[in-house]
Amino acid sequence: MKKLFSGAGGILAGLLVAFVFFGSSSLGAEEQALSSENKSNAEAVYVPHGEHDEYYLINSGGHSGQLFVYGVPSMRHIRTIPVFTPDPATGYGFDKESKEMLGGYTWGDLHHPALSETNGDYDGNFLFATDVANNRVAAIDLEDFHTVDILEVPNIGGPHCAAFVTENTEYIFLPTRFSLPFDTEYASLDDYSEEFRGVMSAVTFDQESKEFDVAYQVALPPWSYDKARAGKRDSSDWAVISTYNTEEATTNLEINASQADRDYIVLFNWKNLEERVANGEYEEFNGEKMIYPEKHKGDIYLVPVAKSPHGIDVSPDGKYFIASGKLAPAMTVFSFEKAFEAIENEDFSGERNGLPVLNYDSVMEREVDPPGALGPLHTQFDERGNAYTTMFISSEVVKWEYETGEIIDRQDVYYSPGHLVTPHGDTAEPQGKYLVSLNKIAKDNFLSVGPSHPESMDLLDISGDEMRHLMSVPVNPEPHYGQMVHRDVINPFHVYEMDESNPYAVYDQKDTRIERDGDNVTVYGIAMRSKFIFDAASERPDVIEVNEGDTVTMHITNTDFDQDIVHGLGIMDYDLNFEQMPGQTKTLEFVADKAGVFPIYCTNFCSALHQEMTGYLMVKPKE
Amino acid sequence: MSKKLSFQSAASLFIAAGLLLITIFLPWWGMKFYAPQYQEGLNIIVYPYKLAGEIDIVNSLNHYIGMAQFSEESFPELQFLPWIIAGMALLIVITGLLRKMSLLYGLIGLFIIGGILGIYDIRRWLVSFGTNLDPKAPITVDPFVPPIIGENTIANFVTNSYFSYGSFLLLLVFLLILFPLWKERRQ
Repeated sequence: MKKLFSGAGGILAGLLVAFVFFGSSSLGAEEQALSSENKSNAEAVYVPHGEHDEYYLINSGGHSGQLFVYGVPSMRHIRTIPVFTPDPATGYGFDKESKEMLGGYTWGDLHHPALSETNGDYDGNFLFATDVANNRVAAIDLEDFHTVDILEVPNIGGPHCAAFVTENTEYIFLPTRFSLPFDTEYASLDDYSEEFRGVMSAVTFDQESKEFDVAYQVALPPWSYDKARAGKRDSSDWAVISTYNTEEATTNLEINASQADRDYIVLFNWKNLEERVANGEYEEFNGEKMIYPEKHKGDIYLVPVAKSPHGIDVSPDGKYFIASGKLAPAMTVFSFEKAFEAIENEDFSGERNGLPVLNYDSVMEREVDPPGALGPLHTQFDERGNAYTTMFISSEVVKWEYETGEIIDRQDVYYSPGHLVTPHGDTAEPQGKYLVSLNKIAKDNFLSVGPSHPESMDLLDISGDEMRHLMSVPVNPEPHYGQMVHRDVINPFHVYEMDESNPYAVYDQKDTRIERDGDNVTVYGIAMRSKFIFDAASERPDVIEVNEGDTVTMHITNTDFDQDIVHGLGIMDYDLNFEQMPGQTKTLEFVADKAGVFPIYCTNFCSALHQEMTGYLMVKPKE
Repeated sequence: MSKKLSFQSAASLFIAAGLLLITIFLPWWGMKFYAPQYQEGLNIIVYPYKLAGEIDIVNSLNHYIGMAQFSEESFPELQFLPWIIAGMALLIVITGLLRKMSLLYGLIGLFIIGGILGIYDIRRWLVSFGTNLDPKAPITVDPFVPPIIGENTIANFVTNSYFSYGSFLLLLVFLLILFPLWKERRQ
């Protein structure tokens, strides 16, 4: 009996041990693998306190009119740069200079930021971006991450695919999305093909004076121009633009611009166009130098491409341009060398709107069609011969070799990626370490904030053969392309230097003063920890007294030449406010059209006595 | 007693004079201020002829406790100190040329007196700046006197006072002046 018991007990204990041991171990292995993968992902993106991210990611903000600066790999949002939209946080659009720069617009649709380049790689000097909504181009100085110039470009209809820069930032090209009536203000849509044109602008930027200028424009056929790139190395004198609506439809484009089996890539030689302009081979048009390609042949060609292409990108070696047809699910690799050969041999399949059309088969290198991948859009590169293409419809990134067309890896993203960006990924010197997918939709990935879900970004590690998904972050709308640049390339300064030649700057309290000339009152004042001094000799140095109807100009200098000591100046009820960086002088101009007593206060937290940093604007009522 | 100094002793004096001239261009004394938001430290560095460091920033912070503003004008010593040093160097050279023991004793005496005066002067300024605080200042602190060497805490700042290269070289100059005393001992 005892034996029986002990035997049964032994078996039972054995079963129990086996169950517990194997049960827990098989369950635990899975959990352990998952948690160790999460842990290593967390380690891969963790940047300890006091250390800096390796890369700057500067993202377009679409219809917010702003740029967003993130650090990679932490994906921390570091700064918002207002470009086409006023920004109370920095006073952008309120002080005289930025107000004039914005020209009365209160929003813009910021697309496609492009960093200035030297020898085909980012030089960290400036960043350019365009406004699709109001035909503008802006330059951001990367020494202080502030917008320094905005140019409103005439004769164009929304520079959506711009800006793209040439290898040494000789030009910033702005092809436009909408063709508009040409030569006339108004034209019937019935006469679209005859009366409309899609104008492309070649814009220059003087890095010394920090000013844009339109060098010349090209009157392209009345199509929509979608995405563009300059060539590199051997192809650096050339550039490519994808187009759609070569059908020249004027309504219900969803259907009517999707009919033709082939659309085109515009291939043009900007060096030749430049020479043509220098030789006077252009016509004056509405204040600009306009080139009509049908009259001056030899610089612009059409390359047939699978219908409705969107993205077009140039490989780092400058040998290929890759077009992605959002409706034809394939990436088409074209060869620049073959295109040049076809041009030389006049290997044309015909002519369209006066432009020679190259033979597709003569220029095409290969078509790459990953099975089941749908909606290829944009391509970026690494330094190992790989291309990475977003698939908008199938929500994934496909890694493939552009020399062979071989598919290497595919990685899901969450969801609907438009652009993607790798470090220096559109230059001649890409750094294939990280990849950020800029997604249009986040759906239910984050805490709900109601019906409108945030846009999102996915961070992938692409240093190995297989892509690794590291993290997903919600972002401000709308990530529409970005530039990822190594931190060593960017060299911002911290404090404005004293500029004795600036007639508006006051650095010594004793020089502060308020001058009156008729109805104009000019204040030369300073902001310092923790007070305003508008007129040191006055009984109340922090008070400005004016009469109703006076025009008031305030030149204020932040005399704290100390890192991160930023002051602000807000005037109550007057809708006025600006931020002032250390050492900076800013000017505010307004008409004192409301009588009363209006507190002035420092808006940007500056010190323990920030709250006391106040003054008054006294506006005496009219008798 | 009226025995002439040896050539080695004279050489030692010439070197001392040269080094003394060099000290004019070196920092003699300094103070470094640390606070949570100034972990890199703010400097006041005193040269015989100028002030260096983040003087403006220190001034803009000092106004909170009502301390007078530092500037080169507020220290008249900086105008004439280089000339005193140069004059002293000249005296050393003369002593080396004449090689007279009595002059050497005078020199050593002058040096000791000068040193004491110098330290007294620093102390005087520290007392003056630390105790003459504007009674209307936003932050009221008890009058304080930072040490000539060492640490002091005032409000959110820890200060560190120290002698610098110029002073170390000055000490070497003094040793070089003393050297003849040892060299010429009972010979």
